[in-house]
Amino acid sequence: MLALLADLGLLALLGGLFGLDRRAAFQLMLSQPIVAVPALSLVFGHRPEAVWLGCVLQLLWMSAVLYGANTPPNETVGALTSAGIALLYGRHIGPVDDAVLALAVLLGAPTALLGRAADQRLDRAGLALAARADAAAQAGDLRALARVPLAGLLRVFGSHAALITVGTGLGLLVAWGLRAAIGQTLTTGLAALTRYVVPALGLGVTLAMVRRRRGLGLGVVFFVVLLVVLGELEPGALP
Amino acid sequence: MSQAPTQAASPAPRIGRWTLWRVFWRSFFFLAASNYERMQNVGFAYAMAPALGRLYQGEALKAAMARHLGFFNSHPYLAAAVLGASIRLEERVAAGELPPEMVVGLKRVAQGPLAAIGDSFFWSSLRPFAAVWTIGGLASGVFWAPLAFLALYNLFHIGLRAYGLWVGYRDAEGVLPKLQQFNLVKLADMGHFALGAFSGVLVALFADQARRSSLPLGDGIEPILMLALTLIFFLSIRRKMPTIGLLFGASLALLGYVLVLNGLFPLW
Repeated sequence: MLALLADLGLLALLGGLFGLDRRAAFQLMLSQPIVAVPALSLVFGHRPEAVWLGCVLQLLWMSAVLYGANTPPNETVGALTSAGIALLYGRHIGPVDDAVLALAVLLGAPTALLGRAADQRLDRAGLALAARADAAAQAGDLRALARVPLAGLLRVFGSHAALITVGTGLGLLVAWGLRAAIGQTLTTGLAALTRYVVPALGLGVTLAMVRRRRGLGLGVVFFVVLLVVLGELEPGALP
Repeated sequence: MSQAPTQAASPAPRIGRWTLWRVFWRSFFFLAASNYERMQNVGFAYAMAPALGRLYQGEALKAAMARHLGFFNSHPYLAAAVLGASIRLEERVAAGELPPEMVVGLKRVAQGPLAAIGDSFFWSSLRPFAAVWTIGGLASGVFWAPLAFLALYNLFHIGLRAYGLWVGYRDAEGVLPKLQQFNLVKLADMGHFALGAFSGVLVALFADQARRSSLPLGDGIEPILMLALTLIFFLSIRRKMPTIGLLFGASLALLGYVLVLNGLFPLW
């Protein structure tokens, strides 16, 4: 139990740091699922599962884009919660099979919406920070102005850390209960979800971002060409 | 805030290279305290602060801080060009060569077009293209592919951020035509073609993975199924159906189908 709590604490720290990169600081794309989720596996292990999760979660949340004042679902919260559930399940409860991966995706996805609500709340709270900056300007105090973004960063860090940790903790409980309860039929159904439905949905989301019809046509051509190539390969030629 | 120059024109003071580096560092925190009313105003003023501190004191400093706390909303990377240009103009305002309204006017004019270009290039083209390229690498067993993603993306991100700031500082409003020469809109278009092509590759790779997973369907049907599902989801999303709704709807439909197939829920 203590080991699980320690892992959750570490996840909170990492989640908060990745959350900062998403919008408030740097924006180096460390917070993207394709980077953040495999990075978590450096700490929590289960690299193949983390790589698969990073890929499909990146596709699934591809359209979460920070255009202007738009507040999309928070893909970092959603992805890291899903990854936290799967990886901590593997460390503390049992093997991470396709059914657990499906449960992790399903349980983590709603937290992206909670993350959006938290982001909107933070932007509203930002009005108070702007007022503090105005007061610093009226006083001509550059140091006071410099403290305002720091307060913003702390709020963003806390929001991400809290959401990811609580989401993962609750998700782990639910995943543990469900995985123990479901039989072979639903296990097969969840595996089909993992192998077919979730990747296909992610690919659908990604294709919908293509703004040029000829780009879609190219996609079909490349699909057919690669299919022919893969058909020529020995099974297992690719990992 | 909008007072006329109060001192006789004198050679414009320069903020120095070290201050420009401090501004560059602070530009990474543009969105640290964003808000719905004036958007990125706090981040902009925070980034400008080292330069303003070198140029002004007393009431002039207060006025300068206040004019950079006005509404500002642009793309966080390309906004560095506005920062650089604003610093150059502030130097001339401090020397009495220009009225402060020039700085505010430049920000007002530049923020919109730069936001549109940055959103189009970085958010809707480079990021998805680099991501699908990386996923293709990972699916083919290249485990360092995320590092390549970071390198490719940040080559453009940090490169354009630094270029914008330094050229903005050197050329003031002349930075906008300089940025246009990169033709980012055209590059964004090309990114969409590449995104479409790589997405096709990914459909085939995921179908291949499914074929070799614990759940093969046999008879080579996996690619057809994967393509069909992808197209169904693609069309649904084009019709504005939410991703999470589709995820849960498809999951319920699939699990229900599996249960019905097994008849009378024998395992529950």
